[in-house]
Amino acid sequence: MNIGLNDYLFFSALLFAIGFFGVLLRKNTLVIYMCLELMLVAVTLALVAFSRYNGTMDGNVFVFFILTVAAAEVAVGLAIIVALFRRRQTVQVDELNALRN
Amino acid sequence: MTPVQTALALLLLPLATALATALFFRRHAAVGRALSLAAAAGIVLLGSRLIFFTENFTVTAEWLILGPLTIKLGFLVDDLTKLMLFVVAFIGFLIHVFSVGYMKGEAHAARFFGCLSLFMFSMIGLTLADDLIMLFIFWELVGLSSFLLINFYYDRPAAVSASKKAFIVNRLGDFGFLLGIILAYWAFGSITLADIAGRLHTSPELVATSIALLIFCGAVGKSGQFPLHVWLPDAMEGPTPVSALIHAATMVAAGIFLLCRVGVIMTGDALTVILWTGVVTALFAGVTAFGQRDIKRILAYSTISQLGFMVAAFALGSLVARRHGLDPTVAGVTAGAAAAMFHLTTHAFFKALLFLGAGSVIHASHHEQDIYRLGGLRKKMPVTFATFTLGTLALAGMPLLSGFFSKDTILILAWQHSPVVFGLLLLGALLTALYMTRLWSVAFLGEARSEGAAHAHENPAVMTIPLVLLAVGSVFAGYQWFYPEVLAAVPTVALALQQGDGHLLVVVCGSSAFVLGAVIGLLVYRPGAAGDFLQQRLPVLYQVMAERFYIDALYDWYVAKVQQRFAMLLNFLEQVLLSGLIIRGFAGLVGLLGLGARALHTGSLHAYVYWFLLGLVILWAVVAGLFNLS
Repeated sequence: MNIGLNDYLFFSALLFAIGFFGVLLRKNTLVIYMCLELMLVAVTLALVAFSRYNGTMDGNVFVFFILTVAAAEVAVGLAIIVALFRRRQTVQVDELNALRN
Repeated sequence: MTPVQTALALLLLPLATALATALFFRRHAAVGRALSLAAAAGIVLLGSRLIFFTENFTVTAEWLILGPLTIKLGFLVDDLTKLMLFVVAFIGFLIHVFSVGYMKGEAHAARFFGCLSLFMFSMIGLTLADDLIMLFIFWELVGLSSFLLINFYYDRPAAVSASKKAFIVNRLGDFGFLLGIILAYWAFGSITLADIAGRLHTSPELVATSIALLIFCGAVGKSGQFPLHVWLPDAMEGPTPVSALIHAATMVAAGIFLLCRVGVIMTGDALTVILWTGVVTALFAGVTAFGQRDIKRILAYSTISQLGFMVAAFALGSLVARRHGLDPTVAGVTAGAAAAMFHLTTHAFFKALLFLGAGSVIHASHHEQDIYRLGGLRKKMPVTFATFTLGTLALAGMPLLSGFFSKDTILILAWQHSPVVFGLLLLGALLTALYMTRLWSVAFLGEARSEGAAHAHENPAVMTIPLVLLAVGSVFAGYQWFYPEVLAAVPTVALALQQGDGHLLVVVCGSSAFVLGAVIGLLVYRPGAAGDFLQQRLPVLYQVMAERFYIDALYDWYVAKVQQRFAMLLNFLEQVLLSGLIIRGFAGLVGLLGLGARALHTGSLHAYVYWFLLGLVILWAVVAGLFNLS
């Protein structure tokens, strides 16, 4: 069985959709956060696939940058979630509605 | 010091003391008094320097440049300026000295003297002004200081309403003045007096007449001409030195000064209107004076009447000079300006004297102002009585006193112009002699009719010396030799005018008017009479005069019934249309938008994600050109 560009893209789109609907539908901040990362990874996968398909290094270079930035983002994002939990004793988005009124 | 520096110092000195008093010495009566007196003395010194040791000059500096309009400020010092400055500086100083005695023991004297300095500043600026805008600025400033001084006793409702009345009535006249300035700028492209005079022939007759009459409106307001005279008698609520300085000698004469300043732009039609305004005012105020019992109000109506004489004198002089094709300017002074300014000068002396004399009487008799509650002051206040008598005689036109000469000039011009005007002005002169005799006889002769008058005694020298000095002026100000050479242009021209046709006839008529007025006055208003002759014999007529011919009542009716209702209508429209529909309407619309926008902030993270998504889709649609229908 030959795995081609389309399969990678399909898989990438599937991952992105899972992440996207996770962000839309889940209530737990931590899960939402993981879904966000999933979307990022889906895009990364698509970039690697394109890079390989075109035989250039552009996509790979992008991936390196995205991974670096994502690592930093995870550090900050998790720290925010931990701080939020300490303060509110919850990470459910339904209860985090201080902006209302 | 150069002349310009002298003029600047002269102008700014009283402003400086007024500011110092206002900022630091409001509660220090003695300091305020000393500062103001020093300023008045400084004005006399600097003024003398400007008058006696400086050639006529004019200087301007640019002040404001607004597009094509350049507003300049500058000084114009000529013979008219010098004479006016002489009157303002010297009579102003004497009145300051008198005020020291009059305001003794007054708690707020510092405010009084500060305002007096402010007035001197404004009046000097008005005198030195070289274009219409600067004239107008200082014109308003004298109005302001007059307002401040009329309501000096701000705890008296009468004084407060009198000050408001003065301010508002003056505003009516000033509005016309301002329109005149604007029209002059529109027609001539300049507001400098010299430029306007030079370009006069470029404008049609009607425009020139309109400008002249609009500017005359300012004089009608400030100089209390009919029908805007109503504020001047009420202005007597102010302290008496103020009445003498502002409402008799200088500020109200500013209208006459203005006319003489802008004399070049007058046209024949405008002069005829001005002439009749003056004649009507002179007669009307002279008659009204008989219905008054308050000594200051009688003098106020007398002032209005004399101002009417001056206005008529200006118009008569200009008209007669034109008719005879005389060179309109002799030694830089036109015939009209000479006749008016001559009467202004002599009037400033004897009317200031009369007001200060009245102040002396009021001060001595514990603020008794009703002449029928005075009486018997002849023996008790000999200096005041003697000087007041001289002032009365000068005003009434006794031959060889100052008022006789200046009135003679007016009458002779009237004779040369038309017999009707002559007859009316002669009647005015007769009325003057009559009402002054009434005032003098009732207030000074006979027996005291009240407690205050009975215990009156002569005032200290600080009040009587100014009276004596003013009396000297009242007696001699009609002679040419009284004036130093630099000031002699106006009296020379005025006295030369008397050498025209019918001099003898006019002198005889004028003297007869005085004699007749005085004799009838003494017979009718006998010393010691208990009540007013007219009030007893012709109560209806007296009532009409006492009510000032119901002109004040007419204004009250107009304001209350017409203007107030119109204002209420406007207020209604404003509330409904402007405030209700436009302002509330727009505010409501924005509020509604806000309400909608607030609904988007649900506080739910998921909702925000959906908005984000929607935004992304729209952005994509825009970039993809979906909205680009063409």
